[in-house]
Amino acid sequence: MNLISLLSSVFEQTTPILLAALASMITLRANILNVAVEGMMLVGAFAAIAVGALTESAGLGFLAAVCASVTCSQLLAFITLKLGANFIVAGLGINLLAGGGTLYVLETVYMSPGGLRPITFPDIWHLSGSWLDTIPVLGPALSGQSFIVVLAILAVPACYLFLYHSPTGSYLRAAGEDEHAALSAGINVVRMKALSLAISGLLSGLAGAQLAMDNLHFFLPDMTAGRGFIGLAAALFGAGQPVMSSIAALLFGFFGALGDRLQVYAIPSQFVLMLPYLAAILGLTFARWRRMRLDQPAPVAPSEPKKA
Amino acid sequence: MTLPPWLKAISAPITSIIVTLALGFVLVSFSSDSPLLAYRELLFANFDSLRAFGLFLNRATPLVLIAVGIVFSFRAGVFNVGGEGQLFAGAITATAVGLALAALPAVVLMPVTIAAGVIGGAFLGWIPAVLKVHLKVDEVVTTLMLNTIVLLLTSFLVNQVMRDPTSYGAVSHLLPEKIWLPPMPFVPRATSAFLVAVVVAVLGWLVLFRTVWGAELRAAGTNLRHAEAIGVPAGRRVIQAMLISGGLAGLAGALYVLGIGHRFEQNFSPEYGLVALTVALLARLHPLGALATALFYALMLNGAAYMQIATAVPRSLVDLLTGILVLLMTARMPRLKRASQ
Repeated sequence: MNLISLLSSVFEQTTPILLAALASMITLRANILNVAVEGMMLVGAFAAIAVGALTESAGLGFLAAVCASVTCSQLLAFITLKLGANFIVAGLGINLLAGGGTLYVLETVYMSPGGLRPITFPDIWHLSGSWLDTIPVLGPALSGQSFIVVLAILAVPACYLFLYHSPTGSYLRAAGEDEHAALSAGINVVRMKALSLAISGLLSGLAGAQLAMDNLHFFLPDMTAGRGFIGLAAALFGAGQPVMSSIAALLFGFFGALGDRLQVYAIPSQFVLMLPYLAAILGLTFARWRRMRLDQPAPVAPSEPKKA
Repeated sequence: MTLPPWLKAISAPITSIIVTLALGFVLVSFSSDSPLLAYRELLFANFDSLRAFGLFLNRATPLVLIAVGIVFSFRAGVFNVGGEGQLFAGAITATAVGLALAALPAVVLMPVTIAAGVIGGAFLGWIPAVLKVHLKVDEVVTTLMLNTIVLLLTSFLVNQVMRDPTSYGAVSHLLPEKIWLPPMPFVPRATSAFLVAVVVAVLGWLVLFRTVWGAELRAAGTNLRHAEAIGVPAGRRVIQAMLISGGLAGLAGALYVLGIGHRFEQNFSPEYGLVALTVALLARLHPLGALATALFYALMLNGAAYMQIATAVPRSLVDLLTGILVLLMTARMPRLKRASQ
């Protein structure tokens, strides 16, 4: 029971982070450090609640979230790839625009700067049914989760298959590894980068929808609370590999879920929350250090005994 | 028609500011009956009283200091997005030292406190610089991650270690009054820290553009390997630039604590670090331009509050406009070169 409830809360906590990690990972593979995941998630969450409340349809709210995030990502793609803007600066601009824009709309349209809390909000589809009990441990933990959780779990193998077992995926990776080589091989680098941003937007939209629609049914300014950056940290720690990034995201989400419980043992929550960011710096440093070690020329002296 | 070169240099940023302001005006006319009044408040209410003018200078001070620091790092080819963390590091170390050594006489304590802030910020700039120079670790990632780490660390310190239990919110104890910065002459509500900021901007320009050291720093930023090949100690210049960059942000934190807050407050910064990055880029990485742009930004930030009071146009308009400005800022102009991995 305890294990199941812990697993269940890990699923709930890590889903947005996992999706954000995949969103950052897919652009990393196209050689884009996407700092805008945070802002795209926020826009997705807002669109989910605004449209969901307006149309009283959870499905439309969900669709709006995804569309809004993908639109953001394509705006970023246009400004960076077509107008030549810097990815980091424009990405930070998207974040500012998302934060300022949603707040501005809250204040001018909804007259409530504190957040958007519709009185009634349609429920999204949650997993239920006795068939779940046939799966040991995972089944009961998944019971009652939103379908976005399932989508997030499926997104991991989907990203893996896309990147490593589809032609488009390998073009995308090629565009990220060496732009000029990819160009001369006839790959449309700009299109590949725009595609990676679009997928990133799609996944960010899912993350935003999960945040706003799963249990809360409301939107708060800044409700993403750095999850986009934790996702980025996870993707960096996972060296841009889909499976490793997902494991890192799971780990970070797990520590996040554990954060409150650890306070009992006199470990301040701030230090637990710090872990993803520290891990990203240390992981990256270690990876670079190893690369430098490997890249060093072999010792010149021929008399030295060779190590196997 | 040929424009003088300096006018040519500022024409692009001024155009983008005007376009953004015009876009904002359209937005305001949708949500308010008196868009002209709103814009008057936004741009000119800062000069309505000496008090408002003083608050405006106070707002500009940290922006100028951090932005000049960011100019140094970008000129050395380091994409430093860690202004916020460096600012917090400076503010918290200055506060900690000021509180811990409160028994010292003011003549000693004040410089020591300021130096502590500078060192705190510089240390935070040093970490990504060393990682970049020696291991080629991407500095955007490290500075970005360090921001959150420092913010969490200061949140821990101010809540659990230095908290003033008699005050509301996450604030430290008050610093001894003897080391508060004196107000600026003629402008009682402004601290003299603004004068420091102006001096720093001018010095920054002189050092960057009128000394050999500055030329070497810029050479390292333009092309690291070429700079090394012609005998410039480029790696060292990069690290020194980041020490200055972090140090200036730390100075901004220390001066804020000593001059304006008189204590450390966890929420003292409306993202000064990010705004200063905007300022530095909008100023085309020029220290004197950064001074002018920071003043303009402070005008908008404070003006937004007056606008909200007078016309009910929400102040988040400025965040929205900043977003548009940042988004478009690097578009069209030649790509900022990031030293690649």
